[in-house]
Amino acid sequence: MRKLSFGLLLVFLLGLVLGGVATAEEVTLTITWAAWAPMDTLIALAEDFTAKTGIKVKGDPVPWPQYHDKVFTEFASGKTSFDIVLPDSQWLGEAVVGGHLLDITDWFNEHVKKEDFYETFITSYCEYPDGSGRYYGVPALGDFFGMCYRTDLFNDPEEQKAFQEKYGYALKVPETWSELKDIAEFFTRPEKNLYGVALWHAPIPTAGLTDEFLAVFWSFGAELWDPVTKRVKGYLNSEEGKAAARYWVDIYKYCPPGSANYSMDEANTAMQQGLVAMMGTYLAFYPGLVDPNLSLVWDKVDFFPTPREKEWYVQLGGQGMSISAYTPYKKEALMFLEWWLSPETQWKWAQAGMFSCMKPIVEDDKYLEYAPVNKVARVSYPHLKDYWEIPEYNEMGTVMAEILNAAILGKYTPEEAMDLIAEKHEEILERAGYYK
Amino acid sequence: MDVRNTWANRVSDRGMLYLFLLPTFGLLLFLVIFPLIWSLYLSFCEYSANAAKPPVFVGIQNYSSLFREKEVWDRFVTTGKFVLLAVAIEFFLGFGIAMLLNREFYGRSLLTTLFILPMMFSPAVIGKFFRFMMDTNWGIINYILGRLFGVPKIAWTTSYEYALYSLVITDVWIWTPFIVLLSLAGLSSVPKYLYEAADVDRASGWFKFRYITLPYVAPILILAVLFRTMDAFRFFDVVYVLTEGGPGYATQIIPFYIYKLAFSFWRTGKSCALAYVLLIIIIALSNIYITYLNRLRRA
Repeated sequence: MRKLSFGLLLVFLLGLVLGGVATAEEVTLTITWAAWAPMDTLIALAEDFTAKTGIKVKGDPVPWPQYHDKVFTEFASGKTSFDIVLPDSQWLGEAVVGGHLLDITDWFNEHVKKEDFYETFITSYCEYPDGSGRYYGVPALGDFFGMCYRTDLFNDPEEQKAFQEKYGYALKVPETWSELKDIAEFFTRPEKNLYGVALWHAPIPTAGLTDEFLAVFWSFGAELWDPVTKRVKGYLNSEEGKAAARYWVDIYKYCPPGSANYSMDEANTAMQQGLVAMMGTYLAFYPGLVDPNLSLVWDKVDFFPTPREKEWYVQLGGQGMSISAYTPYKKEALMFLEWWLSPETQWKWAQAGMFSCMKPIVEDDKYLEYAPVNKVARVSYPHLKDYWEIPEYNEMGTVMAEILNAAILGKYTPEEAMDLIAEKHEEILERAGYYK
Repeated sequence: MDVRNTWANRVSDRGMLYLFLLPTFGLLLFLVIFPLIWSLYLSFCEYSANAAKPPVFVGIQNYSSLFREKEVWDRFVTTGKFVLLAVAIEFFLGFGIAMLLNREFYGRSLLTTLFILPMMFSPAVIGKFFRFMMDTNWGIINYILGRLFGVPKIAWTTSYEYALYSLVITDVWIWTPFIVLLSLAGLSSVPKYLYEAADVDRASGWFKFRYITLPYVAPILILAVLFRTMDAFRFFDVVYVLTEGGPGYATQIIPFYIYKLAFSFWRTGKSCALAYVLLIIIIALSNIYITYLNRLRRA
């Protein structure tokens, strides 16, 4: 009995010690990205890479709302379950400052023709800090904020006539935010369960209110801060900034009731169920909007760029492709990046209906045939703008999202909201040492 | 074979005891004791687990800044309202249901089993269900209220008026069965002869409840409330899924805010300090309950 007990204890201890020891095996690269159509497409395309190199590739998709926290919790542990990650543009500073991404500057300078890409994609997805010449990724998915609308409503002669009579101009795809508000007001008919527009109002920094509000904010001529001194007061809460906030609070009247928590899923569902005439989203989510299995109005929608007002800026979305600093497979991961950037792979990516970051592809007319959103991409790319890419972006974005979310529900006036956000942002930047 | 000289036989009984305890003690030290001490140290440091910099000792700065911030106080008030409402409703509802179930009737066992089902689901899954059911435009709750009673659409999870109540309703749905179970255990321990004696004396229903039932079940009810209070202070999953802390930060109770500080803003030191403040509050409240419980037992 005693020998048996001793033996059991020994087996238990051996199990503990040897449990974490991996046996030698062939290289498999693990890619983490959000759980969405582009991830599925990338993993399907990667079979070409495996065929060429013998290196297997598997995906580790994470739901969008948990994506940032999951990736950075792994980074913080100093060991990642993935080798390649596609971080949101605004994560770059946070990841680089923490030392979590592999510096690929030499490789980048040797393998990437920067002139083949739109400049914003290089500065936002690859380089940190801006203008430093240090690179941590390559462009991957050129996503951006755009709009979707119901063609059956917009093209209905009765609706067109009624709109012309009420507003004095023709009903068409809005070119300005002011026109968009008129159209949203026109189609808001609670008695018919139809509302003007679904926008992201969720009080979260990524995939929430901040993303969509900034397209309005910048187009109204406002700025987040002084790019040199990083002072926020007088910029974010300028007259232009407050006008943008007034617009944002005002247009909520024409959004579906209870839409203060809308993010990508809810806004998509509102469009798919025919609840709204227009909807804003990152257009890489378009497949669900034209899928007959998911949408009641799949054949009655089209897409347009976010409008202008005083100026025209489009909120950048999308991701670059970076390598975890903790991967044991750095050489293989760089091989994957090289394969990814090859024109052959990029054309296949575009043909699968995904946004390419490569100018020669986007500017080729064949590109327009691959997805109904590609015409919008081509017009929007020259107007792309991104928000803070510093490590504190998440806290700053949260502050903006929470306070403006409270403002649309009447807790603050738009003016109070912008003053409060400016004050909070300066507190965060002060604490982080930007004002030394 | 002579087994007396083997190594295993040379280890004494006490030695064997320690050998068996060693792995458990090691795991406990590694997974519980060390994180507790380390996080206590971090609560006195300026530190971000996400940055490549070591912790810098700043004394009580994290604690003092917590109590200066209006946002933190707001979140404590929200937490207090949530705990008070949720635990009170669960207590009265749970005990009431237990009183109803504490009698013989056909299908009693099945009904009791059905009542405890909510506790068996994952809170995250329940949060998702309730998010769908409470959706303003296509949620079944608004549909039923509208169809049957003509109630206009209610923004359950996205309005300042209702968002906190949506969390309370969800918590009550999950955890009332816990109070039911404990109450049933308490009720079944009351000796039947006491009721029979009271019946002989023509005691009223209220008299029997006040002087027979309540003294017997009170200790176990206090325990149930203690467990629920401790648990309600740690309520996180449902908030994360159902309201995401919104509208604004109106439903950000303290555990959710600790998560945001720790894993969204990476202010590790400050989040540890807030976690310890919460721990102290829970311990203090638990002590009040336990003191009262001991007094009851002595009585």
